[in-house]
Amino acid sequence: MADLLQIVAVGVLLGGTYAVVSVGLNLIFGVIRVVNFAQGEFVMLGMYGTFAASVATGLDPYWAAIVVVPAMFVLGALVQFLLLRHLQTEPAMQIFATFGLLLLLQNIVLAISRGTAYSVTTPVAQVSVGLGPVQVGLSRLIVLIAALLVAGGLWLWLQRTMLGRAVRAVAQDRRAATLMGVDTGRVYMLTFGIGAALAGLAGCLLAPLYTLSPQIGTNFILPAFAVVVLGGLGSVGGATVGGFIVGLTEALAGYYIDPALKHAVLFAVFIAVLVIRPAGLFGQVGAEEVGLREQA
Amino acid sequence: MNRPDAVTLPRLAGSAVRQASGVPGFWDGLPLLALVLGVLAGGVGLAVGDTFTLNILGTAFLFAGLSSAWNLIGGFGGQFSLGHSVFFAVGAYTTANLYLKLGVSPWLALVPAAALAAAVAVAISWPVFRLRGPFFAIATMALTEVALAIGNYWESMTGGTRGMSIPFRLGAGNMIFRDRVSYTWIMWGFMALCLIVSLWLARSRLGYYLRALRDNEQAAGAAGIDVLRAKLLGMAISAALTGVGGGLFLFSTRVTDPTSILSLFEFGVKFALIALIGGMGTVYGPLLGALLLIPLESWLRAELGGVLPGANIIVLSIVLILASLFLKRGIMGALQALRVAR
Repeated sequence: MADLLQIVAVGVLLGGTYAVVSVGLNLIFGVIRVVNFAQGEFVMLGMYGTFAASVATGLDPYWAAIVVVPAMFVLGALVQFLLLRHLQTEPAMQIFATFGLLLLLQNIVLAISRGTAYSVTTPVAQVSVGLGPVQVGLSRLIVLIAALLVAGGLWLWLQRTMLGRAVRAVAQDRRAATLMGVDTGRVYMLTFGIGAALAGLAGCLLAPLYTLSPQIGTNFILPAFAVVVLGGLGSVGGATVGGFIVGLTEALAGYYIDPALKHAVLFAVFIAVLVIRPAGLFGQVGAEEVGLREQA
Repeated sequence: MNRPDAVTLPRLAGSAVRQASGVPGFWDGLPLLALVLGVLAGGVGLAVGDTFTLNILGTAFLFAGLSSAWNLIGGFGGQFSLGHSVFFAVGAYTTANLYLKLGVSPWLALVPAAALAAAVAVAISWPVFRLRGPFFAIATMALTEVALAIGNYWESMTGGTRGMSIPFRLGAGNMIFRDRVSYTWIMWGFMALCLIVSLWLARSRLGYYLRALRDNEQAAGAAGIDVLRAKLLGMAISAALTGVGGGLFLFSTRVTDPTSILSLFEFGVKFALIALIGGMGTVYGPLLGALLLIPLESWLRAELGGVLPGANIIVLSIVLILASLFLKRGIMGALQALRVAR
């Protein structure tokens, strides 16, 4: 029983990690209908930004979010404006472009860092918290809490603010939104920027937990896709729940089947869900089709 | 079975109709293909003795073949697979294990390798073909990850993370040669096979089905095409060729491990990238793409790789991004546009 609790705790904490990584991906996907293969690299940039900021200032890495998040917003908005804006109706070219971006960012960081592995230190990483019979690392707990806060905040923003309404309107029907006076071009830039900023935030929160390497983004991107698809395309709540499903699946498969096969099990589940219910467990049925319909 | 007669009837008159309407058939395209292959063979002849050039030519031919194979389902069929490295690996490991454990000559082992790659492809694709566009791409990317986990786990077949190597036992029957030119010819032969299949497919009923369903799946289905069957057939042919390529690749390098053979960039995506640069859904596009990109890549690696790690891939990824923006129909598309403009 204690074993099971421990595994569930590990799974939930991992789920928090995946949820915080996926929330931006899902926003971009839900609104702009772009599958951003470079989202994991945005997280990676966030981690390196955190490292650079904490080394430069000597402050705790969590403070780096103040710089990293806006910087990633600008980068994301630029990527959308310069690149993806021109490929709105061409899903195949979007795959090429964002995959090219993935390779570009990864190797620019590799060239700059020359392959040196860095790690970010914070006193927080040393602290562990007892929750009943299980001990969990404080930095992982922070990620989990942040994942829930970010999802809640994003949901509130989408529901309650004028700009959030505009974003949802564009996601539902781009043309009708334009006719209602929404500047869709601006909404797209804003959304992609927010998606990248959320990835940057995830990078800040995860930096103390991982050894930094240029390829680290690829560790996140496939689970993040799994989360987005499992949870439901374009659904903020779905993505959070999807994160926990993926985290728990990975933890349970790693313990009860074989740690070496946990990814195989995870992706087998992912593909099965994708095939049985392409819109995801909590997505609107047909959402995956909307993403492919040409939006003139 | 449930196919209307209207679709089966013209099959009888197919070649006659085609001749009357002036639509070129397979045989009309063969002289040009023979000429192209002849020129490339002449290139190999000129390079004999120059190991560096022979290696680049061999790699370019291999990737021309592999990218042509990908193009059958990815270009003509519009099914954007990023998981072809799985079929590549299945072919490679089948060939190697038949040779190492049962002593089957790799030349013979290529046949079951192709068959197994096709079988795996059909079994995987059956459910995954329900997905379209980016979802299909993501699912095939995830399949690569599953295959990687299995490959690392199944040590008796793949050598696990430590990898496997083919012992150096000279002999034509073992497909192991001292000179590089033999390998270049093998790759030339593989490329020739893939191009012949491409030409056949481009001019065949299946090829028209695939292009029809690429452009509009619903309309293709409404016109009486069995969409799933056409996709599965295209995928099976594509995977079989990719599996053969895998076997040839492993015997020309003689060493591999799951991480490198299932590398998303080195294989899965590169097949697609080469086809994009050359021109997706054309017979000669992948060949052009490979002849351009592979030498460029090895030149960049030699010039920049040592100076700055990753610099060669930085250049390639910029090429990829620019191509997605400005060269959507590849070099073949650009050439066609020029011809039309004139």
